[in-house]
Amino acid sequence: MLAAIRLTIARKEFADALRSRTIWAIVLVIAAMTSLSAGISLLVPDVEGGAEMAIGSASQFAGLLVPIMALIAAYLAIAGERESGSLKVILGLPPSRGEVLLGKFLGRSGAVAIGLALGFVVSGVVTATLYGELPVVAFVGATILTILLGVSFVGIAIGISAVTATRARAMTLAITAYLGLTLLWDLAPNAVHLLVTGEMPGGVVPAWFLLVQGLSPTGAYNALVQQLLLGSGTAVEARIGGPAPGYLDPAVFLGILFVWTVVPLLVGYLDFRRADLS
Amino acid sequence: MGAMETPPRPVSGSERSADSEGTAIQTSGLTKRYGQDVLAVDDLDLTVYEGEVFGFLGPNGAGKSTTIDVIMDYVRPSAGRATVLGYDAQDETREIHERVGILPDGYGLYDRLSGRKHLEYAISLKEAGDAVDDLLDRVGLDAAAADRVVGGYSKGMTQRLALAIALVGDPDLLILDEPSSGLDPNGVRLVREIAQDHAARGKTVFFSSHILSQVEAVCDRVAILNRGRLVAVDSIDGLRDALGTGSTVTLTVDAVPDTLTIEELAGVSEVAVDTRTIRVSVDEATAKVDVIDRIRDDGATVLDVTIEESSLEDLFSAYTGDPPTRSDSSEVAR
Repeated sequence: MLAAIRLTIARKEFADALRSRTIWAIVLVIAAMTSLSAGISLLVPDVEGGAEMAIGSASQFAGLLVPIMALIAAYLAIAGERESGSLKVILGLPPSRGEVLLGKFLGRSGAVAIGLALGFVVSGVVTATLYGELPVVAFVGATILTILLGVSFVGIAIGISAVTATRARAMTLAITAYLGLTLLWDLAPNAVHLLVTGEMPGGVVPAWFLLVQGLSPTGAYNALVQQLLLGSGTAVEARIGGPAPGYLDPAVFLGILFVWTVVPLLVGYLDFRRADLS
Repeated sequence: MGAMETPPRPVSGSERSADSEGTAIQTSGLTKRYGQDVLAVDDLDLTVYEGEVFGFLGPNGAGKSTTIDVIMDYVRPSAGRATVLGYDAQDETREIHERVGILPDGYGLYDRLSGRKHLEYAISLKEAGDAVDDLLDRVGLDAAAADRVVGGYSKGMTQRLALAIALVGDPDLLILDEPSSGLDPNGVRLVREIAQDHAARGKTVFFSSHILSQVEAVCDRVAILNRGRLVAVDSIDGLRDALGTGSTVTLTVDAVPDTLTIEELAGVSEVAVDTRTIRVSVDEATAKVDVIDRIRDDGATVLDVTIEESSLEDLFSAYTGDPPTRSDSSEVAR
């Protein structure tokens, strides 16, 4: 019965995303940008082209775009309803706050996942056309990883939405999360490197540098895509100039993505559960 | 609309504890503070019985909505507790929400969804078996309007839809927080009919309003809340009696008799004479006829009689010390 209620909420959230064209916006942006970046390596001379490289550059683009799209798709999920007052109507019905939160997470995740999958299908067709081949494993793997990244940012967005009472505040936090986790995080390993060794990182970096780099959801995603495309050993060994330690295993980065999905949801739930809605 | 007959209490509720049998809402020592300064509800003890239409009166900012917020678990009390239909408002929220319908204060709906979709959503979340068209019918929304998105609704249509959502699942307790706001006179009458109709099915209605005439017309009992404190709970008649503000009988006579003995009558509290009119304040209903009989016995011919019932506004200001409520008075920050 409880599962039924969550599914009802999830279904409505999904339908909302369809109605508001959120899904189609995601499909369009992802299809256009990833196709473009896949095509770009053909135009640049002296770059060793290939379908795998195309997938790699498409994924790099996705690493920047997906977080912002997932945040936009979900940051108002709860805060918006709290500000408009529709939350009072929903919470006056049997669903608990936890069920509302989980239902919204599931529905919006589904919408983002389907949008990303469709977008990738388009760019897969473009890639196959441009290069005459499509490495299926790499392509499917990159699609799944991108969906995991999207879901993790939906978790972050829902968490943000649960701890904020107004749209404005939710937006501030969402922008902060994007800047912090996607753009500024790249500086973190460099800063740590500078602090520890007294100099900026060179061509070969210590193994822990890659771990710090991969601690953000986007960092973990990038690490996973590289390991997928180049093989998990090669990708790491080339950077650190030696054998890869266990903590750079793909499972660790998958775990990091998972933690970034679940912990914001949990923090959001704990705060939302006790919040005064008035 | 006359006073409602209290219908027989429903015999359901076998799963409830014995001491709560027949109690729809009970608060004890309920207190809600916001920050350091705002005491929205102050040590409220309130009991609403099953099957009654209970009026919850008070000026804006008196703490009515905050009380409902606690009852519905929208906010947590700072002290005290509330039970609804025998269930704890904070710990057994689902049990309560399965049996309660609410028209909340400051609610919103989904602009992009049609009225029909709203009802379908509410029915499925409540796992109820209502037919959407029946609900629309009860609140006076036509099917064509229900198929349009709510973003284009007038305030009155929105309010009707919200009422319909509150009626989903035929709730044992219907909580209406300022249900008449935004409604035209027809809508106001509709709310009254819905409340009465619901009570006639043996269900409980908790009707919160700052507009006294609306509560007066439908409620069996009334609580008056002011600045977070309960100042009175009684039937409308009981409140009148308690305050001694009953009715005023104004008699126009051919000539005021020399010996006026009306004041000796039981139930007469005040007599004022002005040339050919005699104004008599009575605080017992039966005294009205006695007054007319007596003045004829005294030798006067009665040319005209008017009887004014003191309005709830008078009662209200007597209790709260405020002038009668202006409907546009500003909401105190909760």
